Amino acid sequence: MNDIIPDSASRFAQSKKQKQKFLIEIATVIGLLIIFAVIMPLVLPEFRLRLLGRFLSLTIVALGIDLIWGYTGLLSLGHGIFFALGGYCLAMYLNLQIPEGTLPEFFTLYGVKELPLVWQPFYSLPVTIILLTFIPALVAGFLGYLIFRNRIKGVYFSILTQAALLVFFNFFNGQQKLINGTNGLKTDTEKIFGLLVSDPKVQLNFYLLTVLFVFLTYVLCRWLTSGRFGRLLIAIRDDENRVRFTGYNPTWFKVLVFAISGAIAGIAGAFYTVQTGIITPSVMQVGFSIEMVIWVAVGGRGTLVGAIIGTLLVRLAQTFLSEKFPEVWLFFQGALFLIVVTVLPAGIIGGIRQLMINIENRQKVVTYPAIDINPEIQAEKEELEHE
Amino acid sequence: MNDNILVIDNLTVDFEGFKALNQLNFSMKSGELRVIIGPNGAGKTTFLDVITGKVQPTEGSVTFNGKNLRNISEHDIARLGIGRKFQTPRIYVNLTVRENLDLAVNTNKNFVSILFRKSSSPEKRTVSGLLETIGLIAKADLQSEYLSHGEKQRLEIGMLVAQSPDLLLVDEPVAGLTDEETENVGNLLMNLAESHSIIVIEHDMEFVRQIARNVTVLHQGSVLCEGTMDVVQNDPRVIEVYLGEAPSMSEEQINIIRIAASMAWADNNFAPEQLEVILSNLSREFSDSLMHQMDLQQELKNYLAKNIPLEELVPQLKNIEQREKVLRLSYEIIRSNEINEQEIVVYQRLLELLDLPTELIKEVETEIEAKYDKRINN
Repeated sequence: MNDIIPDSASRFAQSKKQKQKFLIEIATVIGLLIIFAVIMPLVLPEFRLRLLGRFLSLTIVALGIDLIWGYTGLLSLGHGIFFALGGYCLAMYLNLQIPEGTLPEFFTLYGVKELPLVWQPFYSLPVTIILLTFIPALVAGFLGYLIFRNRIKGVYFSILTQAALLVFFNFFNGQQKLINGTNGLKTDTEKIFGLLVSDPKVQLNFYLLTVLFVFLTYVLCRWLTSGRFGRLLIAIRDDENRVRFTGYNPTWFKVLVFAISGAIAGIAGAFYTVQTGIITPSVMQVGFSIEMVIWVAVGGRGTLVGAIIGTLLVRLAQTFLSEKFPEVWLFFQGALFLIVVTVLPAGIIGGIRQLMINIENRQKVVTYPAIDINPEIQAEKEELEHE
Repeated sequence: MNDNILVIDNLTVDFEGFKALNQLNFSMKSGELRVIIGPNGAGKTTFLDVITGKVQPTEGSVTFNGKNLRNISEHDIARLGIGRKFQTPRIYVNLTVRENLDLAVNTNKNFVSILFRKSSSPEKRTVSGLLETIGLIAKADLQSEYLSHGEKQRLEIGMLVAQSPDLLLVDEPVAGLTDEETENVGNLLMNLAESHSIIVIEHDMEFVRQIARNVTVLHQGSVLCEGTMDVVQNDPRVIEVYLGEAPSMSEEQINIIRIAASMAWADNNFAPEQLEVILSNLSREFSDSLMHQMDLQQELKNYLAKNIPLEELVPQLKNIEQREKVLRLSYEIIRSNEINEQEIVVYQRLLELLDLPTELIKEVETEIEAKYDKRINN
């Protein structure tokens, strides 16, 4: 009996500390929501707000990458695929908001007389919304299943995702008659609910929806990574064989989380497209998918909030520097990555956390450190004090 | 046949021409603790790989609780009730000790349950109980990365038990552990053996002696010999394959070591001082180079784990010098710690068998007494 007491006591202390942390987190998230949803639209000019909206939609894909890379250890270099699929789905819907019987303009260039079959479902907005989530999820799930079933891991997984990216990139570039090939699909000149997509009011609504979806995605990822499921993801990253011999089938868990990440990227792509005004296969260039990974690395992987901060920071720095120093901004970007990789290998958030731990310990440790932080000695001390 | 938890029938595993396991037959009863030993490359790890589904057999079958395990995937075999501990501790280093156990204790291992179900209170109680069993209560909420090697080994064994398997497969649990940790792990296994069937693969002969009841020796993918520790250690085929095909000592030297070992085991307690006397005396005597002496000490340790009756050993001594050497060594062994009655009995028996002149015995005894007296005076 005596032995049970310290265990439940430590569990109680742990849960109290966790509750406190959780409350702080909720307060921060609500604060940020107010800043982004209320203050930013009032302060920023129209053009800047649209830019911020685009960056925020990129934070959504970064959250998805953190989920699979930071937690599950799957480094995908092919998220451009899912991002583009989501973007194309919404762009196809917008391109179909034309008088009945007519075809989107570009079709006439190639002499296409009839709407291709794949375009048919995109007349309806609900179907489009479902498809822009599920098509990326299904593609990711299928690709993931093929890779994970054969137990392909680590760098081979990354290479395969990049290869898949190139396949999609070339395929989309070649399909003039289907999706206007390299030129992509314009959305700015299209209409939604009778209003022009580039109308400031429409754009403000898209911005607010983006903020909402950043929040929702964060909550989803937070929920996924906090419970047993999240611990299992970390377990898969730490030692997949142990997971297997414990009786879990890691393949399906990896497929599931990869598909979720794909769906998240699809949603991000849709928001990015309408706030950019066009979607082209160039979002499936290798560089862009690698950049997504860099955002997460800069912010700190396995932290979620780091993915958001990293994306915004890198993108804002890019905008600012390219405006002020158009000739040399690429050097700044390179320098930023070098600094993060060499000075803060755990990213900004990881670095800050480490710093906090160091400060906390410096205050506490006045004697020989091992005694102060060794829980066994602490437990004995407590027991003695009880007696 | 029903009480056999595991039956392996005519098992062959062929890695492109190399037979890691060759027509191996094996069975063990429910509740048994079985130790498997064998030289490197004997197929011990492949043996576990086949049982756990990591490797598919080329021929033959593995039957667990009456169920053929062919074509069943690893995680399904784990769910059937076979837990495996790897050679190096494999735990989730970024999770706390408690979280490690919680993942293992979870009985419902599909998506939905993982996503929506929290740990139930019986599961929490099981985890608390396990923390106590493996002695890690105080470190329950510490990230397991910061555990020592021995603690990690214990945690992994704890995770196995959390799965509540019927059969535990443990691969070299004490490799790289200190003596104290080895004893902890040994006790833990002995406790677990009361309620589980266990297969242990081990190299450390002293540890094997501590826990073993039944030992199976594998050699070149087949069972070479099976039985209690004493039976196995006296089997000439085992000595040949397990202790190296050509021992670096001669027959006579081995004989002397065995007599020394019997003396040391006389009171059923092989004291560390006695081991020290044997190792330092003999390795110096058999070899001049320091490096070789170190190797020899290791080899000697292997021979020392045996206890063979003096009646068999003494007649094999060839000449009077050897007899004198045995006398000298034996007296020093029992003199190195307090001489007790059991040791005197065995020593008297030895003297009878040696049949040396009384003056010589007196001379040797006084010489060694003097050596120890001098040591005390210093």
